[in-house]
Amino acid sequence: MSTLADSSAKGSRVRPAGYGVLRTGPAAFLVHRRAVGMGAALLVLLAAASVLYLCVGESFVSPGNVLKVLLGGTSPDELVVEELRLPRLVVALLVGLAFGVAGALVQTVARNPLASPDVIGISQGASALTVAAMTLGVTSYSVLPYLSVAGGILAAALVYLFAWRGGLHATRFVLIGIGFAIALRSVTTLFMTKGDYLVAQQAQIWMTGSLNGRGWPEAEVLGPLLLVLVPAIAWAARAQRNVSLDDDTATALGVRLGRVRLGLVGLGVVLASVATAAAGPVDFVALLAPQIARRMTRTAQIPLVSSALMGALIVVLADLLARRLFSPTELPVGVLTAAVGAPYLIWLIIRSRTVGGSS
Amino acid sequence: MSRLTTQALTLAYEDRTVVEDLDLAIPDGRVTVIVGPNACGKSTTLRALGRLLKPKSGAVLLDGSELAKLPTKRIAQQIGLLPQTPVAPEAITVADLVSRGRQPHQHWWQQWSDEDERAVTEAMARTDVTDLAERSVDELSGGQRQRVWIAMALAQETDLLLLDEPTTYLDISHQVEVLDLVRQLNHDKGRTVVVVLHDLNQAARYADHLVAMKSGRVVASGPPSEVVTADLVHEVFGLDCVVVPDPVTGSPLVVPGAPWKAA
Ligand SMILES: Nc1ncnc2c1ncn2[C@@H]1O[C@H](COP(=O)(O)OP(=O)(O)OP(=O)(O)O)[C@@H](O)[C@H]1O
Ligand SMILES: [Mg+2]
Repeated sequence: MSTLADSSAKGSRVRPAGYGVLRTGPAAFLVHRRAVGMGAALLVLLAAASVLYLCVGESFVSPGNVLKVLLGGTSPDELVVEELRLPRLVVALLVGLAFGVAGALVQTVARNPLASPDVIGISQGASALTVAAMTLGVTSYSVLPYLSVAGGILAAALVYLFAWRGGLHATRFVLIGIGFAIALRSVTTLFMTKGDYLVAQQAQIWMTGSLNGRGWPEAEVLGPLLLVLVPAIAWAARAQRNVSLDDDTATALGVRLGRVRLGLVGLGVVLASVATAAAGPVDFVALLAPQIARRMTRTAQIPLVSSALMGALIVVLADLLARRLFSPTELPVGVLTAAVGAPYLIWLIIRSRTVGGSS
Repeated sequence: MSRLTTQALTLAYEDRTVVEDLDLAIPDGRVTVIVGPNACGKSTTLRALGRLLKPKSGAVLLDGSELAKLPTKRIAQQIGLLPQTPVAPEAITVADLVSRGRQPHQHWWQQWSDEDERAVTEAMARTDVTDLAERSVDELSGGQRQRVWIAMALAQETDLLLLDEPTTYLDISHQVEVLDLVRQLNHDKGRTVVVVLHDLNQAARYADHLVAMKSGRVVASGPPSEVVTADLVHEVFGLDCVVVPDPVTGSPLVVPGAPWKAA
């Protein structure tokens, strides 16, 4: 049995405002009610967007037929829906979830929305190594994701190393990260101009972040990985709460900051890199999703589940537009996310007088 | 008796030594007040007592074991510390922040218990912030915010409580309230409290044990009546003054020399 008890100040008892307590046996979880509501709403939106995604294309398939195919029925549209659109949708969903969580984790640790994996060089590190490998003739999808993760971790480690001065200062971390992002982009460009023309073109499309031609091979790597990481993500949701206070206060409360931070960032880097390997650096999803989710739930820390769902929603909708906006010509999905994300990034920078904000 | 002591403690930030060779014993069940001029190392010492700063040499001992070797969560169940300038997460509500004080008593699968609820409710009532429960910490006055932070430290319910300048930002009545609260906690629950204060007269009024520091060293320590003398104030703060008995409590009252006036 579980109950979602009332969280408001009932009688003389006080509970964190907006939270309910979910009890099951000896376990008790604090859940933010608005975050739960938002999560549910996002899930519904995401389902609707997914069905729409499967309906729309060169030929229109009615929602009824889409549902029929999804539920295993036979329909003349089976080929279009199941073979062409569904695999790509699944990749879009997984990539969005991964970027949403990755952004939430890294932003939390840096205490700065600017510190998203796609701003501070992690995605760029993943791209650089992947493109380098592509131009050197490695094209197998069984190898590229690992190179991508290696590149992301390497970039993150370098940024961390250069930003560390007996402590991690958020502003320095972000500035050095942005510097690395720019440098790594030039490295990527260098490899592309050096490489074979065809490979370069392929790399160029991948670099913008595109879901064109993605399907089950990518999903088969991404899906299980995300599943394996679910317990880690559950841990992260709780750990996030603890690192949102300043260093001294958190340590005084018994939080092993160093370890927790490393765990959170490590998880974020892996997720961002794997997603990058699958779809290229779909820019700004990791930046946008957590910030929108946080504004919607009004929680003190970035809500992990809502960020993930928001990430998926952004990627699915953006890819839907990317496919149809100038059809028959397709845009890379990264172009659309950048069109929304870049102005937001600029607004963030203008708004914060110092890049570091409060910390 | 002292559960919390330091042995030849030397503290430094990078290569700059701030506190040197400090031997301190915090008397159990007493209120200890640390005073001293700005930058003499009070906060630094307090941070080391709460294992926020690793000693360069020497050690801080809790019940005879070196603090640096104890699990940080176990320490957090014994020692609470309120830093001089804590920073709240953006848009956090008062009740949420206070409930963070329960962190060391929780597990990831036990995020809220009746005990937590009681401790938080009590801490908020004691610091007079119950009515602010649903407000955002961002939009409070400096004094209100200070009381919320104190509530968070109280909610931790530790035997030892270290407070760094808990009365800054507070108006005189809330200053007195917080200091009375400290005394009360000490009296009712036998809590050991260490407070850094700037006001010498308040220090003399509320301390059982007074520690006067200067340039990273302890100049004098003991009961306020023995420690606070005109000579000591001159030595530590370079201030000429007269020390008279406080008309209410009889504790030493520092009256600075005559103010500057145009001749
Ligand atoms: N994080 C830090 N890094 C480097 N030096 C520091 C740091 N914190 C404090 N210091 C230095 O250590 C010395 C002692 O500082 P501390 O904060 O302990 O003083 P304090 O006695 O608490 O002063 P105040 O009354 O102003 O709070 C000062 O010279 C200060 O500049
Ligand atoms: Mg200080």
